[in-house]
Amino acid sequence: MNKEELFKFPFYLTLHPYKAFWELKYERNQRTSLWISFAILAVLGFTMILQSQYTGFLVNYNDPRELNSFMEIVYVVVPVLVFSIANWSLTTLMDGEGKFVEIFISTCYSLIPLILINLPLILISNFISLDEASFYYFFTGVAMAWTLYLIFVGNMTVQQFTPSKTVITLFLTVVAMGFMAFLSLLFFSLVQQIVSFIYTIYQEITIRY
Amino acid sequence: MFNSINKRKTAITIFAVVCLIIGSLCSATAVLAAPPSYNYNYWLETVAAPAAYQATTIVKGTHIGVGDFKDPSDLHVTEDQQIYIMDTGNNRVVVTDKNFKLIKVIDSFTNRGQEDHFNAPQGLFVSRNKHLYVADTGNNRIVHLDENGKLVQIVESPQTDLLSSTFVFQPARLVVDNAGRMYVMAIGVFDGFMEFNVDGTFTTFIGANRVYVDPIEYLWKMLSTREQRSQMVQFIPTEFTNLDIDPEGFIYAVNGDRWGDNIKKLNAQGSDILRRNGYFRPGGDINYWNQDGPPRLIDIDVTDSEMYSVLDSKRGRIFTYNGDGFLLYIFGGMGNRVGEFNTPIAIERVDDDFLVLDKALGEITVFKTTEYGRVLNEAVRSYYRGDEQRSAEMFRQAANMNANLEYAYDGIGKSLLRQGEYKEAVEYFRQAMDRTSYSKAYVLYRKEVLRDVFPAIMTGLVIVIAAYVFGKRIMKTRRRKKVVPFE
Repeated sequence: MNKEELFKFPFYLTLHPYKAFWELKYERNQRTSLWISFAILAVLGFTMILQSQYTGFLVNYNDPRELNSFMEIVYVVVPVLVFSIANWSLTTLMDGEGKFVEIFISTCYSLIPLILINLPLILISNFISLDEASFYYFFTGVAMAWTLYLIFVGNMTVQQFTPSKTVITLFLTVVAMGFMAFLSLLFFSLVQQIVSFIYTIYQEITIRY
Repeated sequence: MFNSINKRKTAITIFAVVCLIIGSLCSATAVLAAPPSYNYNYWLETVAAPAAYQATTIVKGTHIGVGDFKDPSDLHVTEDQQIYIMDTGNNRVVVTDKNFKLIKVIDSFTNRGQEDHFNAPQGLFVSRNKHLYVADTGNNRIVHLDENGKLVQIVESPQTDLLSSTFVFQPARLVVDNAGRMYVMAIGVFDGFMEFNVDGTFTTFIGANRVYVDPIEYLWKMLSTREQRSQMVQFIPTEFTNLDIDPEGFIYAVNGDRWGDNIKKLNAQGSDILRRNGYFRPGGDINYWNQDGPPRLIDIDVTDSEMYSVLDSKRGRIFTYNGDGFLLYIFGGMGNRVGEFNTPIAIERVDDDFLVLDKALGEITVFKTTEYGRVLNEAVRSYYRGDEQRSAEMFRQAANMNANLEYAYDGIGKSLLRQGEYKEAVEYFRQAMDRTSYSKAYVLYRKEVLRDVFPAIMTGLVIVIAAYVFGKRIMKTRRRKKVVPFE
């Protein structure tokens, strides 16, 4: 596989998702694809940071004092991971053919439109007026819709599902993500309780003796 | 050894005593100081702000020379700066000049040849021709006296199908417009203000508040039977708590609404036309403890240049907004110090001074402007007049005194925009977080820049295209030349 091919493929995927996701699953080197996935996540995280910092004043409602680059990256990586885990847990039960790595790779590749559209939008948003802001919102909407479409196609190809089954699994995935969020919240609060309980006992003992 | 310890002990004792003295001195000065002044910024945070008003004097009935006030409930200041005080408990109206020198006391009038008195009157209004209107609550009537205290007419409970047969007319507050129409806030009326013609006939209700339905209450009501439902609380609109009228005849009203807009500006049709273009909707404090609940506005006072102030009876604070709905300054509070109240009931302005009437204490606190307050008032007024230069200068001063006042940057930006300084205006609007004005200024700035740069861009583009075409042709001929020898 030559270098030009390596660089071109992700863009080819955005326009020819059916063919490309098939190729991604059955024909391409998985290790390379995984590295590219990490690269896509990194670039998307970078885009999010730039977006929250440099988007034009008219469409930027972030409080500049509360920007946190680390959290921006977390907001990218954690949902992708949670989605992949939830989707994988569901599809193994529903006769899906995808492995976890494949699901992760296809999800990451699906995020490319977010980078392709949002990165130039950051620059453009600095030169627009309030009337033209609707174009800005339109394009962010397009990026979102495009990504969702790619996730749909990617999941369908990876799992070898019918379209209707894919829609159902994706819906259930979202529900499962909610469950995971709830469980982790529960877990952390319980751990916190235990820690404070142990600390209280420690205090009791040290103060008494 | 012992000695040194002893020495150290004395040193510590002396130090402690000194500390105590300094501490007590400090707390003594702290008691005299006013409560910290604050405002809200764009992010809805409470931020420090210089005091715009300071309490200077407290006036009691004995100072005026009419004996103590008893449960006074309303104030009115006429255009020639006479102060009318509604002394409810003593059934009289006390009239003074702006320095609280007594002019007259009105406690009776002649009605059909007999002397007549007020009974627990709660509200009053003085029209432009100095006619006095008294909401004589206990007698269920409105008394209209002329400038000499002679009775003009008495408005009794209206006979109309719009009111139920058990209705008791208890007028509490009223205003009169320039045409002589009366707008009356009556106790137990939920349909808005009662409008009376010049001759005292009831015409209509205007400006009813919207009904707020509590979702949980609603659910219970859905689930219960008809008999149970008839015993439950009805969903009724909130009552108004007070009203004022501006020189153009618009009624400014406050109500006890917990959820909706509690300040309203009503036009002749009774629809709300208050501009709410500030960083948040006008209506008193926006940050408060949940157990204390939202502010309860009890009086409103509108002055020139569309500025208006509201009084929060829960926390005793006075909030002043400009016509666009930007919060300008906050002062007052509950407590026992000068400048704090027990049961604040009414506010009025005399020139730029504020009078705050305390019902239980029966006293009026006079607030005078500080340098900051004067600058801000002048800035808003000159902007309202259209004097951009002056308002920008004043807003600059205000911004110097209070960097937390984003609205000042907005004022500066607006004047720069009108002067055609688009680039600077854009920067100031960004500081003010005013996106609408920012966009307006930015479009003009962009046009200006493009007009300058456009010829250069076009020239450059043409040159590049020409070079490209020319270069291609040269390459072609060169290649052809190179090829020829080999053939």
